[in-house]
Amino acid sequence: MANILITYNVEHELPLSIHLAVYFYLTGLSAGSFILSTLAYGFGMEQFKPLGKVGVIMAILLLVMAPLNLIADMEQPFRFWYLFLYLNPTSPITWGSFLLTLYPLNSLVYAYFMFRGDAPRTKFFGLIGIPLAVSVHGYTGFILALGKARALWNTALMPTLFLVSAMVSGIAMMILVVIIKDRFFSPERQVKTELISRLTQLLAGTIILDLFLVVSDVLVLLTSDAEAKEGASLILTGELSPYFLGMEILLGSLVPLFILTFPLTRRRVSAVAFASALVMVGIMAMRYVMVIGGQMVPLS
Amino acid sequence: MSKVRYGMIVDLRRCIGCHACSVACKAELGVPLGVFRTWVKQIEKGSYPQVSKSFLPALCNQCANPICLQNCPTRATYQLDNGIVVVDPHRCIGCKYCIASCPYAVRHVNPLKKIVQKCEFCLHRVEVGLEPACVNTCPTRALTFGDMEDPDSEISRLLATYPVQVLKPERATQPQVYYIGADMYVMEARGMGNAEVRNG
Repeated sequence: MANILITYNVEHELPLSIHLAVYFYLTGLSAGSFILSTLAYGFGMEQFKPLGKVGVIMAILLLVMAPLNLIADMEQPFRFWYLFLYLNPTSPITWGSFLLTLYPLNSLVYAYFMFRGDAPRTKFFGLIGIPLAVSVHGYTGFILALGKARALWNTALMPTLFLVSAMVSGIAMMILVVIIKDRFFSPERQVKTELISRLTQLLAGTIILDLFLVVSDVLVLLTSDAEAKEGASLILTGELSPYFLGMEILLGSLVPLFILTFPLTRRRVSAVAFASALVMVGIMAMRYVMVIGGQMVPLS
Repeated sequence: MSKVRYGMIVDLRRCIGCHACSVACKAELGVPLGVFRTWVKQIEKGSYPQVSKSFLPALCNQCANPICLQNCPTRATYQLDNGIVVVDPHRCIGCKYCIASCPYAVRHVNPLKKIVQKCEFCLHRVEVGLEPACVNTCPTRALTFGDMEDPDSEISRLLATYPVQVLKPERATQPQVYYIGADMYVMEARGMGNAEVRNG
């Protein structure tokens, strides 16, 4: 084994900025809240009915904000319409151009029929919206997974990991939205604990699934090639470990999981709200660690 | 017309680390301050008194299976029939996905033009029968450029004669810049700065 010292090299700046992490975060929240909204209006699960209207409104608002981050990250923002003019079917960004157009349009139609009270049409567009919502966030996972230079990104787990973390953050956001709505804007000024406890169970379940995927990802990174190992040590012991171990795993997953399952805390609305806020911060940390950390391992 | 496939051979035994290739590239193409289309990495190996110094010219590998081309959403990056991978400056939207995807980190954003650029084997020179500027300027003739489909070319002779290596063959990008006299430690060294023991 030889001692190697690189005395001169050129390193260009990281191509993708935190804008992209925020974009992934917002589409994830949007997809998550859309899917929750269809539980009642698409699948007829009546106990989730209060999520329907607020869910689709959040989904649309977040998805209007999300692509602005993409355009802000481009060097030539005024050429964004080239994405529709010149297509490359092998590029996930081209898939995204269409998904980011179709999904909000369908959501608008779905919302329109929901507010009109047209149940059959609402159900129809809600069910069409589910594959669109899954794709609009799943494709962002493919953006990273197909960036094959980067060891932290180039894994088949990435789209699934993104979808599950989207559900985690989406449910956490909806818990907060429902609590705020009930507490301050409902006629009774009272939080409906029944709905909250349903969502609490759902959130705890998705956090466990998310943790399983994250642990699988890291374990495989540790046994893979040199760049993958370097990426793993960057997030476990290196510069990004406060974001990964501290924010994503401890504060964003383990502490909320405890609060959401421990009998004394899981029935307290304030504790559940606190756990949900932690989860939302944790998932943002996950997006940051993936987008920025993935680019921090030197390639040449 | 018969098929043409351009490639380059870098003979590391000849490279003296003079950086003339980087300078010629900058002058030929007006590459702005702070970014490079080609540069020469310097790597020191061993511990005193058993040490050696190596140089590794880095440039776009003009891959036969380029991931940048696969991922470019507007097809601004495309490949000519002669194998050279080119970026259309009028079509690039600067999404930088190609930079993020390239395993060799040889692409950059031109800070003045705000588009992605990289080595294109001096296409404007090659089209009129000249060699790329770096090859033309290299004082030790460490760089050889030519048509690999032509069995009588210098590059074909070198490819057939010497053991060659490419950077990161495991990425399946099929680089068309080959290195003679490549040391594993030099080819796999990444990053900058402090002495670190890499490889097992």
